[in-house]
Amino acid sequence: MEFKDYYKILGVKAEADDKEIKTAYRKLARKYHPDMNPDKGAEDKFKEVAEAYQVLKDASRRAEFDELRQYGSQSGQGFQPPPGWQHSSGSQNHESEHAEGDFSDFFNSIFGGGGHGFAYSDGMRQGQARGQDVEIEMPVFLEETQGDNVKTVEYQIPVYESRNLEHINKRLKVTMPKGVSDGERIRVKGQGKPGAGKGVAGDLYIHIRLVPHPLFDVQGHNLILTLPVTPWEAALGAKVTVPTLKGSITVTVTANSQSGKKLRIKGKGLKGKSITGDLIVILKVVMPATANDKANQLWQALSETADFDPRAEWSTKL
Amino acid sequence: MTEISFYLPLNELCQLERIEPDVVIEIVEYGIAQPVKGETTADWVFDTTTVHWIKKAVRLKQDLEIDWVAVALVIDLMQQKETLLRENKCVQNQLKRFVET
Repeated sequence: MEFKDYYKILGVKAEADDKEIKTAYRKLARKYHPDMNPDKGAEDKFKEVAEAYQVLKDASRRAEFDELRQYGSQSGQGFQPPPGWQHSSGSQNHESEHAEGDFSDFFNSIFGGGGHGFAYSDGMRQGQARGQDVEIEMPVFLEETQGDNVKTVEYQIPVYESRNLEHINKRLKVTMPKGVSDGERIRVKGQGKPGAGKGVAGDLYIHIRLVPHPLFDVQGHNLILTLPVTPWEAALGAKVTVPTLKGSITVTVTANSQSGKKLRIKGKGLKGKSITGDLIVILKVVMPATANDKANQLWQALSETADFDPRAEWSTKL
Repeated sequence: MTEISFYLPLNELCQLERIEPDVVIEIVEYGIAQPVKGETTADWVFDTTTVHWIKKAVRLKQDLEIDWVAVALVIDLMQQKETLLRENKCVQNQLKRFVET
């Protein structure tokens, strides 16, 4: 087992007072807290920092640690508590009590399990046998939010088996409730980390992430569709067939429509739990990539006939 | 088939997550979370997205040793960031569709 120098972990001197220890902890906690720092490795670093703080902020624990530190620094690479070492207070019955994986072996060998008041995450409060909750992100296709679709969810749960980190592969069938939206979290009961001893398992929280759709964007319950139209469709008006999530519909582009004009088609958006959104069609006037002589002649005729300056406003702004 | 839920009553939330009801009441008083229904405290029901933020608030308060006002500020900014990132992604996508031919 590796000796952990809690002073080094917090970056303080062995003679540091409580205030220095607290300040060092706060700075590191702010930096590595997994709720603030999504980087891989931040969580492990935070656990280490929190463990160091749990020991050093408590006078009696700190004294015990100081004693061991002198011994530990002489014992070379592999650390073993001195023969006959016994934690001066608290339970020694740690194997059955503490939530697995929360403290290092080093901590457990010195202080026993079940950290007193050590509160990093859900499953860690002392004596709690319920497993931790697990949160995963799940990509969901837009179409899958519109009916009760069954999705297979696969994820891994890290657990400590005989002090080795292992992963349980989980595979579940979950009915995606109709109207589920981006960013929402669904709770799946009892599918988180297994409990310790006879404790019940934690829950699984599925964080819904909508997969970008090739045609539609989503804004609340509304679906946004960019509709390319020809210059003459925009000028003369047209009836155009557009897709929705359920079949096609015909929309009317009125004469003299600008690029960027929005058409709202009521009730053709996303079906939510209580309301149904609209389909918002945004016109985008597109020029043909190439033009033949005949077309060019027609554009030429148009340019001579139309009295139109799209930059007329500029003169008032310069 | 697995059992899924969108809502969690106060008593179940407190029991599962080992949070004192008074702590949840404080979280609501500071505007960090709102129950979706319930006239009296005992009847409060939270949606599971809110539960996620309540759990986060409890962790932040304990681990960072900050007060509820600071927690409220952090959570508010985190939620704003989540919303803005989502909106930004959507606007970027729309812009791309509009600009590219």
